[in-house]
Amino acid sequence: MTEFAALAQLTVIAMVPYLLASLGTMLGGLAGVFSVSQEGVMLLGASVGFLISYSTGSSTLGILLAAGVGAVFGFALGWATTALRLDQFVVGLALFFAATGLAGLLYRIVIGQAATTPRVDTLPRIEIPLLKDIPVLGTALFSHNVLVYLAALLTVGLWFYLYRTRSGLNLRSVGENPKAADSLGIPVVRNRLWTTTVGGALMAVAGAFLPLVYTGTYTDTIVGGRGWLAIALTFFGGWRPQFIAAGALFFAAMDVVALRAEVSGIDIPSQVLLVIPYVATLLVMIFAFRWAKVPQFLGRNYDRESRTA
Amino acid sequence: MSAPVLTEPEAAAPATSSTGARLLRGVVPYALALVLAFVVSGIVIVALGYDVLEAYRTIFTTSFRTSFGFTETLTKWVPLTLLALGFTIPLAVGRFNIGGEGQLLVGATAAAGVGIVYADLPAAVLLPLVIVAGVLSGAVWAGIAALLMGRFRVNEILSTVLLNFVSFQVLDYAATEVWSDPAAGVAATQRVGEGAQLPELGGPPGVHAGILLAVLVSLATILVTRRTAAGFELRAAGTNPRAASINGIRVEKVAVLALIVGGALGGLAGALEVSGVHARAIEGMQSNFLLLGIIIGLIARGSALWVPVVAFGIAILEVGASSMQRTVGVPAEMVLIIEALILIFLLLSDVIAGRLARRAS
Repeated sequence: MTEFAALAQLTVIAMVPYLLASLGTMLGGLAGVFSVSQEGVMLLGASVGFLISYSTGSSTLGILLAAGVGAVFGFALGWATTALRLDQFVVGLALFFAATGLAGLLYRIVIGQAATTPRVDTLPRIEIPLLKDIPVLGTALFSHNVLVYLAALLTVGLWFYLYRTRSGLNLRSVGENPKAADSLGIPVVRNRLWTTTVGGALMAVAGAFLPLVYTGTYTDTIVGGRGWLAIALTFFGGWRPQFIAAGALFFAAMDVVALRAEVSGIDIPSQVLLVIPYVATLLVMIFAFRWAKVPQFLGRNYDRESRTA
Repeated sequence: MSAPVLTEPEAAAPATSSTGARLLRGVVPYALALVLAFVVSGIVIVALGYDVLEAYRTIFTTSFRTSFGFTETLTKWVPLTLLALGFTIPLAVGRFNIGGEGQLLVGATAAAGVGIVYADLPAAVLLPLVIVAGVLSGAVWAGIAALLMGRFRVNEILSTVLLNFVSFQVLDYAATEVWSDPAAGVAATQRVGEGAQLPELGGPPGVHAGILLAVLVSLATILVTRRTAAGFELRAAGTNPRAASINGIRVEKVAVLALIVGGALGGLAGALEVSGVHARAIEGMQSNFLLLGIIIGLIARGSALWVPVVAFGIAILEVGASSMQRTVGVPAEMVLIIEALILIFLLLSDVIAGRLARRAS
């Protein structure tokens, strides 16, 4: 029983980077801006989060600054695709490269050639009184670091915002039919800008989570495809927070199972276990693309003066 | 979705513009982007306390000062050009092949496998076999993504990227379980037979003969995309899918084929890296070729004519980067930032050029 609780706890932790990056992707996407720079922005978030925590000793500051840098990249995507109407995929890829280069560069500048791998303390665990004493569930859900709780609150908050407030409805209309939204006086550009900015911040925090919770160290391969998987997850979750959370659980369980099977020495080549998340995602995508609802105007730029769109 | 980068700025310009004006509009954004990227990066390098002139001098001259540097540049040019073409061919139909890395690795693994298993065959038989194995497996690897795209409408950006991560494990399995070579010091397969290795041209140090193949492929791509019916269908399906399908072009089929051809080029790049450079498949041999291939394709605006040229420029930067890190101390990552900035400034200057053209007309 305790082993199951420990596994469940690991799974919940593994959910967070997927969840945050995917919610960030979803936000911009609901306004019609499709980001493909997750992998780079997450790496940059990991680098900034790690370096700030390392040099100041404050992981809070690290997370906040990572979010700030991510917000800048998110805003850049929003601005280039609205004010300049550049192609979303091309700009996204360009920002992905810039973020990847910057992440490695910053680490090399601050750390240089270190003899020992620099480490930071991972985030402390905050146990919620009373609730943590519930058998199994207490360990699995109520004995985590602050980012886990924040991610959970964010998911619920976003669901409420999108489906229970007028502003959320307005936002969704921008991604579905910006022309109609515009004619009703909903500011298309402003909606696109704030969602991509907040989205970028979430992706960067998802990245910062990796060194500050998982490893305590930074490597150039720390993100390991989670950014791309987050895009898949967003499609899989139908661009809705509640299903994205369910999808994140699936992805995280996949990670933990692969890790677990490797450790327990089952007679399967480790390579087979390691490809499980990716292959499973591909298989799931086949079905997800059939039922998943995608914002109608996703990936396209809005031109008020255009007659066709 | 229409092809994104193929709409060059002159498309928006008045039809009466002279060749000179067209050339100006074509060249000015590039010059501007290059200058701006190096100025901005230069400011960063100075702010970090390094000697910027020395850094740039190293970047630009390393490839030409020694024959070793020049050989290294040409050797890098081969996979960069092939991966960039593998990216731009599907891009012409508005599809993004982000799987060049996986296609290269699977091609390299297959090529190494053939080169190891049939190590005793003479070069005249084995060499073509090795290369065909690489090309075919690259095509099959991209074919999975193409099938998912054509049959199930799975976004090709995602499927090609996810297959990259699968390919790492394919190579890892080959390098640690099937043909492992513990003496290599890194995770790598055994060496391929003598007959599987490409001869060197010129030198020493020479460039492997695979460069001829890369040149041929580049020329063929230019000819096919610009001068044949297939190339016309490709461009038509990309620029206006609706009009193309009304005129009997099966857009989805063209896209699927383009992605498979792109994968074949990635596989070829892998085979050439094995038989021309490493003589084995090594984990990590893909370096950052995927990112660079995409950057090259985008900077060249998807034009097959410009890809080899841009690839040569990027190869110079890359070879110069490691030399710069050694002698001046600037981290090599700086060059990736320069490259990203070139692309970003090119995109921005297109916007400006477009606005200027509109104001002039």
